[in-house]
Amino acid sequence: MTAGSLGSQGFAYWAVGAATLLALFVASLFVGVGELAIGSLASDPEALRLIMISRLPRTLAALLAGSALAIAGLVMQTLARNRFVEPSTAGTAQSAALGILVVTLVWPDAALGWKAAGAAVTALAGTSIFLMLAHRLPPTQPFLVPLFGLVYGGVIGAAAIFAAWHLDLLQYLEVWMTGEFSGILRGRYELLWVAAALVVLAWWTADRLTMLSLGRDVSIGLGLNYAGMLRLGLVIVSAITALTVVVVGTIPFVGLVAPNIVSRFAGENLRHTLPWVAGGGAALVLACDIIGRLIRFPYEVPVGTILGVVGAVLFLVLLLGRSSND
Amino acid sequence: MRWLKSVLALPALALFLVQAFAAQIETARGPVIVGKTPQTLAVFDIAAVDTLNSLGVKIAGLPDKLYVPELAELKDGAETVGTIFEPDLEALSALAPDLIIVGGRSSPQLATTSRIAQSIDMTMNGDDLFAQAKQRLMAYGAIVGKPAEAAALASELDEALSSTRAAVKGKGTALILMTSGPKVTAYGKESRFGWLHSALQLTPAVEDVEAATHGEAISFEFLRDANPDWLIVLDRAAAIGSGEQNARATLDNELVAETTAWKKGQVVYMPAADFYIAAGGVQSTKRVLKTIRDAFSRTQ
Repeated sequence: MTAGSLGSQGFAYWAVGAATLLALFVASLFVGVGELAIGSLASDPEALRLIMISRLPRTLAALLAGSALAIAGLVMQTLARNRFVEPSTAGTAQSAALGILVVTLVWPDAALGWKAAGAAVTALAGTSIFLMLAHRLPPTQPFLVPLFGLVYGGVIGAAAIFAAWHLDLLQYLEVWMTGEFSGILRGRYELLWVAAALVVLAWWTADRLTMLSLGRDVSIGLGLNYAGMLRLGLVIVSAITALTVVVVGTIPFVGLVAPNIVSRFAGENLRHTLPWVAGGGAALVLACDIIGRLIRFPYEVPVGTILGVVGAVLFLVLLLGRSSND
Repeated sequence: MRWLKSVLALPALALFLVQAFAAQIETARGPVIVGKTPQTLAVFDIAAVDTLNSLGVKIAGLPDKLYVPELAELKDGAETVGTIFEPDLEALSALAPDLIIVGGRSSPQLATTSRIAQSIDMTMNGDDLFAQAKQRLMAYGAIVGKPAEAAALASELDEALSSTRAAVKGKGTALILMTSGPKVTAYGKESRFGWLHSALQLTPAVEDVEAATHGEAISFEFLRDANPDWLIVLDRAAAIGSGEQNARATLDNELVAETTAWKKGQVVYMPAADFYIAAGGVQSTKRVLKTIRDAFSRTQ
């Protein structure tokens, strides 16, 4: 199936996709510890208040984080020209956590925004180094890039853990390493709207990103400002990762699974696939957060843990499905 | 034949003498006989450091960090023999202690340290922690030959407990929380902090919180619906800044504001190191009880 055929059947796909997302959105609003019935919304001001303080922010946080992470994964795959890297495996998320640790040490009372800024800077540095090194790997060996990414991410993660261990902040670091929405309330997730703005930016530059994925020489031949576009992509990936790590923690696999599933159904033209990748990521994170809220009700299982399982299964299905099709 | 009887009796006499010097004590892994009063001690458990210090014992080998500010000066003149998680075996060998005490975070290292000297595991945990704290105290008293001092400290602990229990009585339900960054976990009766409920007869706001090491992850909605009269709060990241500031920032939100505890200002911030690291030490336990007693006494 190509982008073209998606276009002809487009409306049906769009309708199904939007309905799924809407269903998850509504479900998320009504799953929680506080008592809340759908019927009581109109009559009970208390119910509406609970929605506004707790449920809607949490649902929006999952939507924003999910779509942003999926886009960050997609952009990173474009930059690395490899389908099997994503921010949480190739050092971006680990660099962000390291940045938070540094900001916490230098400036313990820093507001969340400053922690995000610090994390974005280190994430940018960490991702740049990854790309610099990854581009030196032989292009004939596509699996070397994700393998190198895992090692690289592991090394940075180990550095963060080592620093935290020495400073007795290991468990503090763990807060940022495990994604969780349980602390999300009105006033505690709004930074994620900045990540959403970056998704819009990615969409706006989609054509240029598609060209970028064709490689340096081809894209320069097509008249693209290659270096400038590379930098913009880096900023998008790093900032999105830093913002989500600061607000909810590391959520694995979203950036890997969502773009890969979409590309198998809809091809590589980012202008067509971007909304699907964003929607897919949002649906995945939202669904996993709902599972995490229900599985041990009234206690919670972190969304990062659920996604670790669900994402790994989806990824294996993708890998195995690919080999049987080809 | 009388001389033969005397000769036969000698080993029995020797055994009797050895037992007079040795002490049989209860450890976390059953009863153990500790030989003659140890002169050089290496201790990896902060609660044990606290209790031995209360008994006036000088400890030769200590972990690099003692966490509890009141114990900081003990580091002067003592050798550093690792961390509370991991002994530094070379430093430990060089010290050549007569007895090594592990417990809690260092208890998995018992087999390792046993290769250097006799080692005992004095871990305390769960809802029975207060009783264990006294048991450990008496054991240390027996080991270092200060049973009378130990008994005196034990009765001080009992007094602190009963006065705190009186202060807590009839003041409503409580929920024990740990904050770490923006997230909150809850602890129940069976948990590492459960002894507060059992020893103080403090009614839990939620009956069935399970005994996970780092508590059960909860949402603020859970907290609002549990609606405890008291919140007993520990900040895990209290290593940086004061625990109260960070924990207060996490809890200060629209949902927690609806609980009785927050409305009445009945939120008790625990001294983190005393409650979390040195739980069961004599001075730490007294400070924990005092924190609760003072907070509960302020209301009628």
